[in-house]
Amino acid sequence: MAGSRPLLAWAAAAWAVPARAAPAKATLVEVFALAAALAAAPGWAAEAPPACGPHLAGPARQQAEGRGWAIAFAPGAWPVPVGRHFALDITVCPPAGVPAPATLKVDADMPAHQHGMNYRPTVKALGGGRYSAEGLMFHMPGRWRVSFTVDGGAPLTHELRIP
Amino acid sequence: MRPRWLQRRLQRRLQRWAAGVLACIGLQAANAATRLLDFTPDERMQILQHGPWPPPSARDAGNALTGRPVAIALGQRLFFDPRLSPDDRLACASCHVPGLAFADGRARGQGRDTLDRHTPSLWNAGHQRWLGWDGAFDSLWSQALHPLRNPREMGTSGAQLQTLLRADTSLSCAWRQTFGTAPASDDEAVILQAAKALGAFVATLQSGRTPFDAFRDALARNDRRAAARYPLAAQRGLRLFIGHGRCSTCHTGPLFSNGEFADTGLPFFVRPGVVDAGRHGGITALLASPYNLLGPYSDKYSDKHGAAPDDAAATKTRHVSQQHRNFGEFKVPSLRNVADTAPYMHDGQLATLQAVIDHYDRLDTDRLHADGEAILRPLQLSAAQRADLLAFLQTLSDPGARRWKPPPPPPPQPTAVSKAASKRCGKV
Repeated sequence: MAGSRPLLAWAAAAWAVPARAAPAKATLVEVFALAAALAAAPGWAAEAPPACGPHLAGPARQQAEGRGWAIAFAPGAWPVPVGRHFALDITVCPPAGVPAPATLKVDADMPAHQHGMNYRPTVKALGGGRYSAEGLMFHMPGRWRVSFTVDGGAPLTHELRIP
Repeated sequence: MRPRWLQRRLQRRLQRWAAGVLACIGLQAANAATRLLDFTPDERMQILQHGPWPPPSARDAGNALTGRPVAIALGQRLFFDPRLSPDDRLACASCHVPGLAFADGRARGQGRDTLDRHTPSLWNAGHQRWLGWDGAFDSLWSQALHPLRNPREMGTSGAQLQTLLRADTSLSCAWRQTFGTAPASDDEAVILQAAKALGAFVATLQSGRTPFDAFRDALARNDRRAAARYPLAAQRGLRLFIGHGRCSTCHTGPLFSNGEFADTGLPFFVRPGVVDAGRHGGITALLASPYNLLGPYSDKYSDKHGAAPDDAAATKTRHVSQQHRNFGEFKVPSLRNVADTAPYMHDGQLATLQAVIDHYDRLDTDRLHADGEAILRPLQLSAAQRADLLAFLQTLSDPGARRWKPPPPPPPQPTAVSKAASKRCGKV
């Protein structure tokens, strides 16, 4: 996003030029240049799709990262309702040159409460690095840590605040 | 045409009257403002999540009879019929008394024997994920089977039901109208049919709106005047409930329960030397039962009204996980109508709601499981705060629920009406 700031400053300056100060032809050129610049500016005219799990773009999208892995996921209901089962749509993105995982385990716990969920999710591989996890339930509001264990390694985690 | 002096006089009177009215409105508004606590946006959000109420009607999962009026009527009839027990002494309503919030007011249930646990209220049972203090049942009908057959409770049998149905042609007719066939000749099948009719009836026991619901909805629509009608003591108690007390961590949502289980530092001895395993035993029983939602007796169908199909309702049973910390955990009860369901806790060991508040106020953390909930701690409230919390809990009762009237008991012998009904049914 930092790269868009000079462009926006330039755009603001161009907008601030008094109409009488420049001939009409030059103004038209500036308008086209401004439109092109805005279209190219990241996060302005069009948000670039996320590299991992581009189909998960949206407010529910979350991402756990570590050791070169990225795991993008989105709960089926957002915000996640307390005390109701929900599913996760997951995309696993391995580091370059590393094959897709053979196994993926999903779990969640509340670190401050020192307990996990009362349900054990099941994970189904859908192909192409995509998975679905069913049977999760957050039975209390608060901070939940979702963990993903790839091929038995150390879990990658991501925390969610459930209101 | 009035003279000008008269017009001026009338104008002045009108102005004084208008000023008086405005002052009165202003005073009332100020008064309302002082009678409404300044709930923060976060508190407001937490309060709103306890509604709206009532929710959509409950369904009994895995029960094809749910929502069918003829089945509900049969279930209601069975619920109040003491002839379901071998000595015609005990009906479901003997322990689930309508005037006692469909509980019995005793510490421990009294069937053919004194039971190990407190009789829970049936209000809103259809909205609960798990049934029983240990959640050993995942549907109303599978739960109903237990007291029907348990020798310590009603102790009935399929054969007993067969005898009753042969003797009472009216009941037999209602049975036929519900199931489309004569009562099943198989003892197991007939008792299962009775349990499903009972489940269809119990699913309809939904309590109505409470003073809290009126307050919650007034907050939701920013109606400060209506919200200010909620007693100040209850507002302060509510603030404690969602704040310092952290009660709403488990007592969440419109039902004031997350539907799960907790160890709250209560003794769980049934008698000296015998412990109640609570949720741990409940999960064992649930998964071993052929009557759970994954079993062959669960009706499989999709609800045409748009509710979750029963395969989705079985998600809880398919994924439930038994853990060591489940020992001594009991269900987090709904707090709707809580003031009407004394005594309290899984074995009725606390006689009053005040005693429940005192328990959490002086919670003995040494009694809690080492691997249990880590945020429980004594509330250490002042006497005024304990009174406020009690005042709040008392606003969770539906006054109409206390007026629920049972239908007249079914006649012990076939009557002229039942003979007519049996004629409509044909040979039964």
